[in-house]
Amino acid sequence: MASTAKKQGVGSVLWDYLTTVDHKKIAILYLIAGGFFFVLGGIEAMLIRIQLAVPNNDFLSAGLFNEVITMHGTTMIFLAAMPLLFAFMNATVPLQIGARDVAFPFLNALGVWLFIFGGIFLNLSWFLGGAPDAGWTSYASLSIASAGHGIDFYALGLQITGAGTLISGINFVTTIINMRAPGMTYMRMPLMTWTTLVASVLIVFAFPPLTIGIFLLMFDRMFGSSFFLVETGGNTIIWEHLFWIFGHPEVYILILPAFGIFSEIFSTFSRKRLFGYSAMVFATVLIGFFGFMVWAHHMFTVGLGPTANAIFAVATMAIAVPTGIKIFNWVATVWGGSIEFTTPMLYALAFIPSFTMGGVTGVMQAAAPADYQYHDSYFIVAHFHYVIVGGVVFGLLAGLHYYWPLMFGNMLSEKLGKITFVLFVIGFHTTFLIQHFLGLWGMPRRVFTYLDGQGYNTANIVSSIGALLMAIAVIILVINIIMTLAKNQRVGRDPWGDGRTLEWSLPLPVPYYNFAQTPLVRGLDAYWIEKKANNGKMMPAESLEDFHMPNNSFIPFVLSFGLFVAAFGALYFASGKEWAIDAVADLPQHPWALWVLILGLAITFGSMITRSLKDDLGYYVTKEEVLRDLEEEEQRREN
Amino acid sequence: MAEIKQEPMSKKKLEYVRRERTKEMRQQVVSFGLMIFFTFIAFGMVAMDIDASFVIPVVIGLAFVQVILQFFYFMHMKDKGHEFAKLFMMTGMFFALSFIVTFIYIVWIGSPI
Amino acid sequence: MAHMEYNVPSERWPAHPETATMEGKNKFVGFWIFLAGETALFASLFATYLALKDSVPSDDHLLAADLFALPLAFVMTMFLLTSSLTSVYAVYHMRNNNFAKMQLWLGITVLLGLGFLALEIYEFIEYTHLGHTFRSSAFGSAFYFLLGTHGFHVVIGLVWITLLIIRNAKRGLSVYTAAKVNTAALYWHFIDVVWVFIFTIVYLLGVL
Repeated sequence: MASTAKKQGVGSVLWDYLTTVDHKKIAILYLIAGGFFFVLGGIEAMLIRIQLAVPNNDFLSAGLFNEVITMHGTTMIFLAAMPLLFAFMNATVPLQIGARDVAFPFLNALGVWLFIFGGIFLNLSWFLGGAPDAGWTSYASLSIASAGHGIDFYALGLQITGAGTLISGINFVTTIINMRAPGMTYMRMPLMTWTTLVASVLIVFAFPPLTIGIFLLMFDRMFGSSFFLVETGGNTIIWEHLFWIFGHPEVYILILPAFGIFSEIFSTFSRKRLFGYSAMVFATVLIGFFGFMVWAHHMFTVGLGPTANAIFAVATMAIAVPTGIKIFNWVATVWGGSIEFTTPMLYALAFIPSFTMGGVTGVMQAAAPADYQYHDSYFIVAHFHYVIVGGVVFGLLAGLHYYWPLMFGNMLSEKLGKITFVLFVIGFHTTFLIQHFLGLWGMPRRVFTYLDGQGYNTANIVSSIGALLMAIAVIILVINIIMTLAKNQRVGRDPWGDGRTLEWSLPLPVPYYNFAQTPLVRGLDAYWIEKKANNGKMMPAESLEDFHMPNNSFIPFVLSFGLFVAAFGALYFASGKEWAIDAVADLPQHPWALWVLILGLAITFGSMITRSLKDDLGYYVTKEEVLRDLEEEEQRREN
Repeated sequence: MAEIKQEPMSKKKLEYVRRERTKEMRQQVVSFGLMIFFTFIAFGMVAMDIDASFVIPVVIGLAFVQVILQFFYFMHMKDKGHEFAKLFMMTGMFFALSFIVTFIYIVWIGSPI
Repeated sequence: MAHMEYNVPSERWPAHPETATMEGKNKFVGFWIFLAGETALFASLFATYLALKDSVPSDDHLLAADLFALPLAFVMTMFLLTSSLTSVYAVYHMRNNNFAKMQLWLGITVLLGLGFLALEIYEFIEYTHLGHTFRSSAFGSAFYFLLGTHGFHVVIGLVWITLLIIRNAKRGLSVYTAAKVNTAALYWHFIDVVWVFIFTIVYLLGVL
């Protein structure tokens, strides 16, 4: 199992990935699945822009349009952005802190499979009677009224992926607290690790409220409870609160790891230590904390009252301060550096103005009275796309180019990368800058069409052209990926030449045990220090001896599959029952639903019990094997 | 990694460790007694029909004291190596409190503030 | 492999066997973080309950003050509090390398937990007869969801501890099993912590 060079059959590779607990392979699983959903969400975005390109368009019907916008938002947030960030977190964090794996390799695998099965379940709604259509926020009054099973797919799919995300969050916090190499103190951790830590803490506290919120929705729609049914005493504001208690930290869960990726890129390609490292760490933690205290700014127009609105408005504006600290530190990092304009660096440089614009409109909306004007208009759409695309997606694309060699051992084409960059950035600003004005001119969001002569025509066609440019950019990116994989020109250690952190000190491809000997960390930018002081060889913190690694396991896959099965049972349980809500009361009854639910849960709990009863002690990597690998690596370097 | 790196303890050391454990056990039994006692007081106060504006804060206060005993003695939070556990639980409690306060005051029960 | 070593002599049994291995340390840290997440989970449940308390469609539905009986809640509290103490005893004996007594106290913990669960089921059946059900009102939904989630945690805890007793019966005590026992005990204590808030906020403040 040591020699990765050995040719394997398709079946054994597949089995390897189905049972893997190696964080590097799990990163690839996240990347593939997340990339797939990113393309899917992108196609949905294109459908939206085609529909809105001209007035009175009938390309999509009103109902289908609702389904498409709902699935676009849900897919992009839960199934594309977060998993892709998890891909980079998995690929880098254990290497950056000098660990051989994450704290809970089994749970890491469970997290990815729960995400994949949840994502598939959610998207099956397209083929099984219609997708959810109440917006990605799925406000209760609307989602309770939505006929058919669309919303049930939303609730169950997100419940499953959400469980996976929570598990991964706990895993990363534990990994970063417990598994750091000797000398890797908290204030020597690379920013990517820091932002992963804070984002994971946010996951730990933000996902349980979402779980509860979705349970309330599930129980109302599938088991006849009345949390949101006003006629039996329910209250739909509860959903809004629970959703945004999760939803606002979620924004920071997305943006913080992107900040981490950019911080790494800025210091690498400016060939400078990150300016104001401790201020950056402090700002990250502060953003994380404030991120939890501002959720009601999404609900200014609900009528919470002036005192509540004022409190949340002030707290929201306060977040601009740590974010500003970060922006200035990045600028100061680049300032006076010996800059190299690689593709990742270009994305990072484009990110600063783009994200700042999104931030500024955010502060505008934080002023509660003004927000009554912006609310539910295209201004909001422009704002959150500026932070999510200008921040998170730029971060993902930058990270993809930057970490690609670490994950696959070859380099994406810089030429195609730069073409992608130019098209994507131009397309992005063309699409969304104009939408600010559309909003201010009065165009409401979530409408499936508009009339001729309202003054929206030119702006909408401009916006759609921009979207087309982004789509072309993504297609070129896909071509780039395919060509790179086909050519497969291997690169060696530290392919960018300016790597500063531990992950670049490893040979490529990274051995499955990561570090032959746990490295000794002597300061911030551990690898850079050794490059200056020690010929670029990390000093070992332990003698070369046998070490312990976890076994592969098929249980995570089966466990997740059980929930996937159970979800179908829950979905059809209420169909046609007399106690069911109006939305599903007229559908045909499915007497098998309860049994499917029980079967699925039995599979899941059976897997858990199996896992608990077996002694899973892992295996030992022998000293001889590691020495052999080291020799091979030495030979390759000489060639 | 997974080895017991424990040097064999001397008899004296072993006796000392055991004595310390017994001492800890005594603390735990005392805190159990206190918890039972607080529960009695809380139920008693409610059963005795004392003025609600007095009972409510006292009963909630007693609950927090019980929980602190539970965390610190039963779940060993007083021991070394629990710093992050304290940090996380305190953060969790803080968020919990803020959720509950908002759900009492700003879900349109009564008039908005 | 030393961490598979069972029935270690007491001189070589670590002072903190549950965190003697890297896996044990990870479990310990990870589980505390999980419990912090559970705090947010139960906070959302309590918040929902408080927002929907006594929120019923019409006057003929029973409210909290009409329903809750303090004596039953008191007995349930005693069961759960005592079971928390017995699991402390189990951990004490685990640290003292006394496998038989550890198993015994874990068994007692399960019995007390079962007692609690039986009372809770009895209570739910009573309320259902009085017309206070999961589907009768928003108050009913919120009540059963909060208490039900706690009850579900009790069930999970009971199954977990029972499985540990069974799986370890033939194996005995090692640093590998010690970590498992310690984690289960932490979970059981946390269930008790949640119950303290339930009897205070739901029952005591409910009948006021």
